[in-house]
Formats: sequence, structure tokens, C-alpha cells
Amino acid sequence: MSVLRAATALFIGHLKTFLRSRTALYWSLAFPLFFLFIFGFVFGHSSPEGIGFLLPGLLTITVISGSFYGVAMRVVSEREAGILRRHRVTPVSPVAVVLAYAAMGLVTLVLSLLLQIVVARLVFHAHIAAAPGSLAVVLVSGALALIPLGLIVGSVARDMRTAPAISNLVFFPLMFLSGAAIPFMMLPEWMQSAARFVPTTWLVESLQGLLVRGEGLASLAGPVTVLLLTSVAGIALNSLLFRWEGTEPVRPRRLLAAFAVLGALYLGVHLLAPALEMATYQP
Amino acid sequence: MAIEIQGLVRRYGPVEALRGINLSIPSGGIVGLLGPNGAGKTTLVEILEGLREPTAGSVTVLGIDPTRQSRALRQRIGVQLQSTALPLDLTAGEVVRLYASFYERPLAAGQVLDRVDLAAQARTLTRNLSGGQRQRLALAIALVHDPELLILDEPTTGLDPQARRALHELVRRFRAEGKSVILTTHYIEEAEQICDRVVMIRSGTVVADGTPFDLMGRAGGTSTLWIACEGAFDPALLARDGVTYNGPEGVHHRYATRDPAAAIVVLGDLLREHRVTLTDLRLRRPTLEDVYLELVGEPADAGVAT
Repeated sequence: MSVLRAATALFIGHLKTFLRSRTALYWSLAFPLFFLFIFGFVFGHSSPEGIGFLLPGLLTITVISGSFYGVAMRVVSEREAGILRRHRVTPVSPVAVVLAYAAMGLVTLVLSLLLQIVVARLVFHAHIAAAPGSLAVVLVSGALALIPLGLIVGSVARDMRTAPAISNLVFFPLMFLSGAAIPFMMLPEWMQSAARFVPTTWLVESLQGLLVRGEGLASLAGPVTVLLLTSVAGIALNSLLFRWEGTEPVRPRRLLAAFAVLGALYLGVHLLAPALEMATYQP
Repeated sequence: MAIEIQGLVRRYGPVEALRGINLSIPSGGIVGLLGPNGAGKTTLVEILEGLREPTAGSVTVLGIDPTRQSRALRQRIGVQLQSTALPLDLTAGEVVRLYASFYERPLAAGQVLDRVDLAAQARTLTRNLSGGQRQRLALAIALVHDPELLILDEPTTGLDPQARRALHELVRRFRAEGKSVILTTHYIEEAEQICDRVVMIRSGTVVADGTPFDLMGRAGGTSTLWIACEGAFDPALLARDGVTYNGPEGVHHRYATRDPAAAIVVLGDLLREHRVTLTDLRLRRPTLEDVYLELVGEPADAGVAT
């Protein structure tokens, strides 16, 4: 398949570029650890359980920042540099280009999540009762849900000045509403219900199920399904919004369609998904 | 035919960048699009590459409609954009292999690097290549699938003369394989040196089209004639029938004429008649630059907005 061959070559190119760039390594691997150390020293060193309570939020923040800063910025900077324009005059399919960005995002996220978990365990002696397989399924589902959304930001943002602004605009609601930064129980009631419209809430919910409440994957089928649906919708919307060049217009109708699809998806989730246990859970 | 263009118009809002271009380019040879910045050269090649759509008119490249069948076309053409961005943290070899993966039948990376004389830089990061080397790498990724037609947008802008000559040599090698090249330039010498055919463009229209030799002859340009003689000779004698005497210049006398051949015949008669010895004769024919200035009406490097 020519798409897969091109996507693989592009992915290897991203990977080599990433490994050769110190700033990229720092922002995607060391920076999340920085968060872990701050939160760990402030809240977590009292007991091994302490860091366990923090991990769902920290891991979620890593997934958000990897998607909206890592993936989105890579797309925007390559487009701004004209690399995508050069790709455009070859027969390469946009699907291959997007797939390579997504794969690269997934690999960096897996690496930084793994590093965070290992450090949490070795330095802060967090005891992680969850089965490694279940944890992997939940984290990868979360990454698969958020990366396509990061790619959408990468397609919509005009240049490297607007990209961080848009990312911040998305980052903070995703972080605060989901309970990743502030314990969910402390959020006012209206925010708790707004949280059901945000994909990261379902990631925090799944991670809390595994790491805090000690549940298995079977009882988390609801939230994990929401994440996977978000991923499918996000991938579909990417093909609608992808731009080779910053001078190509963002078609307002398509953008509206994208918002409508995501809105409809989360309205459905709001109505159908199970209650958030973290809203009621008292440790 | 490599390229067929009929009645091509391209508008950007109220601005008409191309105002009805007609052009047929047969396969084989190097065709140069020459014109000042803003004349519409880049718009024209971007339409050929399928990056922009024509507002009106028809275009086929290798018999293919570049807007509707861009994917099929891009398997067969090689493109160098005006400012090609290369992945800076990959080596030259890695860049070539990356672009090779986009094509159905690519050449081997080593072979491509060899063609553009970059074999020794295969393991050098792009960021450490010189300007000329980067430009050759950009050419390498345009050649990686052995295309039938190369479209180069100002391939030598910003290069030093040596790097420019090296690039010319590569383009000539490509032509020697019987393939077609279309390139834009605002260097007149470049058009004169490597193009088999020059198409001059001004404000979105073709103002001249022909071989450089052809174009130089076609223009009603004025030649300058210098002569130096030994013996008594009244320089005003030659000044008749379309020859103007412009006074002495050192030991020389300078004349301007539109028909230097006739002037030299007359000069021969005069010399014999007055028993004067001709010690030096110099003739400057109109150059492509004179033709360019006459038709395009401004120095090549001056930018005009369209």
C-alpha cells in the first residue's frame, strides 16, 4: 500500500528529527516529569496512596499537552516552514501525512507516559494496582481520542503565533473541567455537568477507576467507548480540515460541520453515558 | 506536447495575474520563463503543478489536466518550488529516501545523490549543507522518480555564480536525456546561457517568445560600432544611411546603427577610397538584455506589483 509506505517513511523522518532535537525531547519527555515532581513533592510524599490519587490527573495533563502542544505544533511548524507545501507537489496522500503525525504523537505520548509511571513508582513509590494491560488500553484510548483533536488545531491554526493561543484555549477547559488539575468533587455542580461534554473527563474517569477505585477494564467500558468514539470522529474531521498551506482558507462550513459533529457526539454522550463515578466517589 | 496552454487567465480578487496566456511547449529542451517579479511567472508554474486553479482557459501538462488529475500528474513531473523547505534535521540521504517513498517507481537514493553531485554529503544533515548544496538537494528530490518534465521556479536565485553554474550543468544533463525542463528566472544571462527557448512575460502576458538568438535578432535594437584607423580619416563620412556618429572614444570612433552589416560594407569602401588602414573594429549587437528592456521595459531585478 502506497499510503502505508509513505506514512512509515514520514513517521521515521519525524522520529529521527525528534531524537535529534533537544528541545523536542525536553518538552515532551522532561516537562511532564517536572509536573510530577512538583505535585509529588507538594502533595504526594505523605503516602504512596497520595501519588496514586494524583496520577490520573497528571497522566491526563500529559496526554492533553502532548496532543495540543506536541502534535499541533509539529503540524503548524512544518506547514509554516513550507515542508507540507513541498509534500503537496508529490503524489503523497494527505492521509499518509496525517497518519504519520498521529503515529508520531502516539509514540511520544506512550514514551512520556511510561516515563512518568516509572518515575512515579521508583521515586515516589506509588503503588499501581491496575493491570498493566488495562492501564495501557485506557491510556492509548485517551491518546487516540486527543491526538486527532490536536491535529485539528494544527490544521486550523494559521501560524506559530496563533497555534499556542488556540491550544491554550482548548488546553485549560480540558484540564480544569475534567478534574485533571482540581479534584472533581471540588468543582461546582454546573462545572461537573459541563464536564460530561469534554473528552478528557472520560479519560480521568477511566484512570481513576483503574488507579484509585481499583476497578477492572470491564466496568470502564462506558468511558473507554466514549474515548474511542471521539477518536473516530476526530480522525474523520481531520480529513475535512487538513490544509497543506496556511494560505488555503479554513472553510467555515467545514469548521462548523466539525463543531456540529463533536457537539452532537457529546450531546449523545451526555444523555447516554453512565454517571461519572468520580463525582460521587469519596476516597 | 509537454505543455499546452490556451487562453489562461488567473485572477486574485480584482487583480489579474495572468491575462490570457497561450503557449505550446513541445517535449525536450529547456524553456525559460523570464520576467520581473510579479509578472505572473510563479502563478503560471503553480497552475502547471496543480497548486492553483485557473480562473479561465485550459491547461494540459503531459496531456493531463493538472487540477483534476494532480495525483497522476505528480507521478510524472518533478518540481522545485521557489523556496523549498527541507527537513533540517534529516541527512541528505534520508531526505531523498523520504521523498522516494512517495512515488511508485523511485530511483535508488545513491543514484539520485550521485546525479546532483551530493554523494559525498549523503550523511550530512540538511542544516549543515551550503546554499548551493541545499538547492541541489531540492533538485534531487525533484528527480527522485525520474520525471519526464522538470518545473523549476527560480532555481538559482540567491546562489553565487559558481553554484549557479553547477546547477545549470545539472539541468543540461537532464535535458541531454531527452527530457523537458521549464524554469522561471529573472536572470537574463541565465536565460541566455541555458534556455533553448525564452518566453518573456510582463504583467501576465507573453511579450516575446523564441530562441535567445532569434529574439536578439528580432528586436529593433541598435548596434554599436567602434573603429580605429591609421591615417587621415573624417569620421563623419561614415555617418549616413542610418548610421549615427557618436564622437570619439579614446582612439576609437563610435557609431550607432540598426544595420551593422550595411555599415561595415560602406566602411570597407571608404577605407579603400581614402587609403586608410583599419587598426581595430568592435561591434556590440543588441543582447537579450536590450530586447528585454525594450519589451518588458524595466530592469530585470526591479520588482513591480501586479
